[in-house]
Amino acid sequence: MTTIEAPAAEVPIAPPPASRRWLRVPRGIGALPIGLWILLFFILPFGLVVWYSFGYKPDIYTTHDNDVLSFDRYVEAASPAFFAIFGRTLNISVIGTILCLVIAFPMAYWMAVKLAARWRGVVLALVLIPYWTNFLVRTIGWQISLSPDGFVSNVLQSAHIIDTPLKVLYTSGAVQLGVVYNYLPLMILPLYVALERLDPRLLEASRDLGGTAWSTFWRVTVPLTSPGVTAGLLLVFVPLMGDYITPTVLGGAKGSMVGQMVAGQFQSAQNWALGAAMAVLLMFAIFGTSAVVGGLLKLVGRITTAATSLTLSPKEPL
Amino acid sequence: MTTPRIGRRRRKSPIDALLSIWGVLGLAFLFFPIVVIVIFSFNTGRTLQAFEGFGIQPYLDALANPAITNSISVSLITAAGVAVVSTVLGTFAGIALARRAGWWTPGLLVLLGLVMVTPEIVSAISLLPWFVTLGVDWGLTGFNIGQVRLIIANSLFSSAVVTFIVRARMTGMNESLEEAAADLYASPFRRFVDITLPLIRPAVISGALLAFTLSLDNTVVSSFVSVAGSTPWPVYIFASLKASLRPEIAAMSTLMLVLTLIVLGVVALVLRRDPGGSGSGAAGLAGTMVGR
Repeated sequence: MTTIEAPAAEVPIAPPPASRRWLRVPRGIGALPIGLWILLFFILPFGLVVWYSFGYKPDIYTTHDNDVLSFDRYVEAASPAFFAIFGRTLNISVIGTILCLVIAFPMAYWMAVKLAARWRGVVLALVLIPYWTNFLVRTIGWQISLSPDGFVSNVLQSAHIIDTPLKVLYTSGAVQLGVVYNYLPLMILPLYVALERLDPRLLEASRDLGGTAWSTFWRVTVPLTSPGVTAGLLLVFVPLMGDYITPTVLGGAKGSMVGQMVAGQFQSAQNWALGAAMAVLLMFAIFGTSAVVGGLLKLVGRITTAATSLTLSPKEPL
Repeated sequence: MTTPRIGRRRRKSPIDALLSIWGVLGLAFLFFPIVVIVIFSFNTGRTLQAFEGFGIQPYLDALANPAITNSISVSLITAAGVAVVSTVLGTFAGIALARRAGWWTPGLLVLLGLVMVTPEIVSAISLLPWFVTLGVDWGLTGFNIGQVRLIIANSLFSSAVVTFIVRARMTGMNESLEEAAADLYASPFRRFVDITLPLIRPAVISGALLAFTLSLDNTVVSSFVSVAGSTPWPVYIFASLKASLRPEIAAMSTLMLVLTLIVLGVVALVLRRDPGGSGSGAAGLAGTMVGR
């Protein structure tokens, strides 16, 4: 196999002389259309949702009204029922994200470090294919498999592993399995990219300097791949918190999540004001949790680096 | 590649064996429900879940069902529209980000990042009232057309993806060819068409195809903004969940899976045949998807 190496990044060229400054003008505005597009169909719509969240639902035929502004919808949204489902959502999301990391790290490590180079592309493609297959269809595949009279249940019963039909579907356990499955590729990919860039010479150096496999892993591999870990945690946690399809297909009443509550206010209850308040709370929760976790990871990273440099080279200033 | 003489010899430790088993099991896990769907697409029974017999009847039924074929055509038209819109927006933005970074760059990157990480459900419930405001309250009737709504709603995420792919491609390239063209009095338009575009063609093609497949898959945003009469395929499946799933759905899903695989194969091929591009094949694709 011949791979042609990508040319190394060019040395920056000196800025063009002032006489050619007109060259700069036309292409700088290339970013304008997408900026306008995002403003028009992302920022303004979300702004409208925030605006609606201060309004109310005047009667059963109207979805929202804003002639009286208040925080009442937030008070209404923060009901015990909301917190119960919100707590379940957070629980499923945190456990799901951790499970994804635990399952994905050895997989990505195997793919990027242990696998022969010619197999890497193939295995990576095998990870990408499920990711690009329709999310809903894959979840329906689990619905078929987990159903009490499905083939998995029958096989397990005839093998006498379980005595009664499988009772997983339409519980939060099924949702947990479904989200781990659905978001696993989003964890594997950034970890793979980070591990593949890991310079093997650093690992060899660590071994040569007397590090064991264990200490090399924790002191070299893990710190160097932490950007990939952070990216993976974010890529899994954020969409998972807002997931709406997995709990609808696998969760039933016992496994519903916040995404469904928000959708329900817009689709069946037609209470846009309340739904908007719930959506804003959801966004706050997602970014709040991400910021806290991000901050913690940074702190842990700093402590680890400090501890490592202390033990490895006591004379080096921190 | 030659193995360096200094260093450990390659040998299979028990940990390596465990890692291989873990990796293979992980892949099996990832493929399990897909295999289930493909097998059940040959189910001749009445409902999807209860397997009765093996046959191609579901495929014939699916292709003969106007509701299904209609939804497929809505999905394909939407995907084509999304590919065009996001390729145009993303290509210009990617070039501008790579070549003409300025005060607006961090702001645009934050916006693109927000578009990519906002949960779909939030984008969906924001766009629904917005389209109603534009189309009904302000009388801009274009926004009441289902296909227009679908293309706009699906293009946001895809444009961000295309932007990052094109930016990655441009950053790795020397600007001297474009400057030479400018020195030789090529107009900005000719310079773009004759120099810049051919250079970034692989990134543009793969970006367009990725936008196409992303849009084919979209369920949440589409189910909120679509109007009666223009139901895309995933929304059709989602709606049939409430009644009962029929084997035709698995059959058509299998056909769509084959289509997606063909498109992805083309993307991988385009990226692989491109020497200066963002890595080879699947690795380049993965790198681009996670923002490198």
